[in-house]
Amino acid sequence: MIRLQNVTKTYKRGGDDEVVALDDVSIDVDKGEFVFVVGPSGSGKSTFMRLLTREQFPDEGEIWVAGKNLVSLRSWKVPMLRREIGYVFQDFKLLPNKTVYENVAFAMEVIGKSRREIERRVPEVLELVGLEGKAQALPHELSGGQQQRVSVARAFVNNPRILLCDEPTGNLDPTTSVGIMKLLDRINRTGATVVMATHDQHIVDSMRRRVIELENGHVVRDQSRGVYGYAG
Amino acid sequence: MRWIYVLTEALKGLRRNLMMTVAVILSVTVSLTLLGASLLLSEQVELATDDWVGQVEVSIFLCDGRTCPEITEEQREQLETDLEEHQVVEEVFYESKQEAYDRFVELFSDQPNLIESVDADVLPASFRVRLQNPQLFAVIADEFAAYPGVEEIVDQRQVLDQFLRFTNVIRNAALIVAVIQLVAAGVLIANTIRVAAFARREQTSIMKLVGASNWYIRLPFVMEGVFAGVLGALVSWGLLWASVPRVAAQLRQEIELMPFIGASEVIAIGPLLLASGAGIAALASVLALRRFLDV
Repeated sequence: MIRLQNVTKTYKRGGDDEVVALDDVSIDVDKGEFVFVVGPSGSGKSTFMRLLTREQFPDEGEIWVAGKNLVSLRSWKVPMLRREIGYVFQDFKLLPNKTVYENVAFAMEVIGKSRREIERRVPEVLELVGLEGKAQALPHELSGGQQQRVSVARAFVNNPRILLCDEPTGNLDPTTSVGIMKLLDRINRTGATVVMATHDQHIVDSMRRRVIELENGHVVRDQSRGVYGYAG
Repeated sequence: MRWIYVLTEALKGLRRNLMMTVAVILSVTVSLTLLGASLLLSEQVELATDDWVGQVEVSIFLCDGRTCPEITEEQREQLETDLEEHQVVEEVFYESKQEAYDRFVELFSDQPNLIESVDADVLPASFRVRLQNPQLFAVIADEFAAYPGVEEIVDQRQVLDQFLRFTNVIRNAALIVAVIQLVAAGVLIANTIRVAAFARREQTSIMKLVGASNWYIRLPFVMEGVFAGVLGALVSWGLLWASVPRVAAQLRQEIELMPFIGASEVIAIGPLLLASGAGIAALASVLALRRFLDV
């Protein structure tokens, strides 16, 4: 489902100063897997996620996502790639002047789904994330955990094959985080591949899923049923 | 593509940014009014010159017995032969009194009062002459002025030249200002659209990540610009429609014997004004968004 082959990505930081974000990295993720990507800030986690949505372009190497070669993908086809991917952010990124229902429906509207399809699918997904009673609420009326549920609902509403989560529990307290992880687990069980970048040691340790650890742009560990650090 | 979405987003954007929208509309109005005015002036010149004298450079008016003894058949034939054989003459044709009147009636069909005031008999017959080189008017004037039965020889180009020079200066000035103003309007539109895109960057970044196509993201912004452009064009059209026929009517009273454009010519340039307004706005918007909204 996701394959990186000898991928290198560097950022120019004025003049000849270069920062190597990913250095000759190769990663394979199969369909239906649940993968944690861990590592300190600046280890290359964000770059990895951005390469998958074609927000960034690799300097070297090959990337395949959902059967598409991202290096040779024409830019007008990028929207099609992104319809295969759901994206959950640390800071939710909900539209503040739209209700919960409208925020989720928005993701369907802008890719041209019909009104009937939207009216059928949005309540279904809100029920999946446990927010069926909050459809008409505005984001600021919700707790952080509820807002993140809306964000997950929006990411999942178009039935993506891949769910990318960038520190989804970073702004949430531990109890709420567990709820979000249960939700992501449930989505994973429907067949979606989940890739989650995180700093949250407890979550990684309790889930016991595959862990890829990055450090200074290298994969230093790739372990199925792993924990956050060697110490654990 | 859901057009309702595109249109409501565009209208929302225009309302949110009302002052800028007003500035864009006014600036488009000014530029297109000038553009329209210079186009209409060109049409006026064409109408006045083409229909008035056509390709004729020299008119030789013949005596009809009013101010000088009427030309005889013999004199007329002699004059025609001499003209045709003259080396600087390219083409000669004769216009009888009746033909002169018919042309007059046709030319001023929009001014029945003028036609009524002129007798069919008043207009003189003439030879209309085209020269190989228009500068050689003096040669013809010298040689034929003394012919019996010739009343007057007129260099039509000279009559026209002053008129043409004057209108050309005005038209070119209007055209230059129109183009500069149009560029300014384009820059203003580009800037407005960029501000609008910046104000909605959260929304667009989400649209990008859920896979909305580029045009789906851009179209509301482009439509926002095009709305303002078309609105400006409509206002300028209205201004021209309200003013040009009035000015023409005024001039018609002061300058006799010249046809003027009217409301129908103003209406005819409308589509062009609308297309220019929409075109410049669309172009400016697309350019403004090209870098801002790239994937």
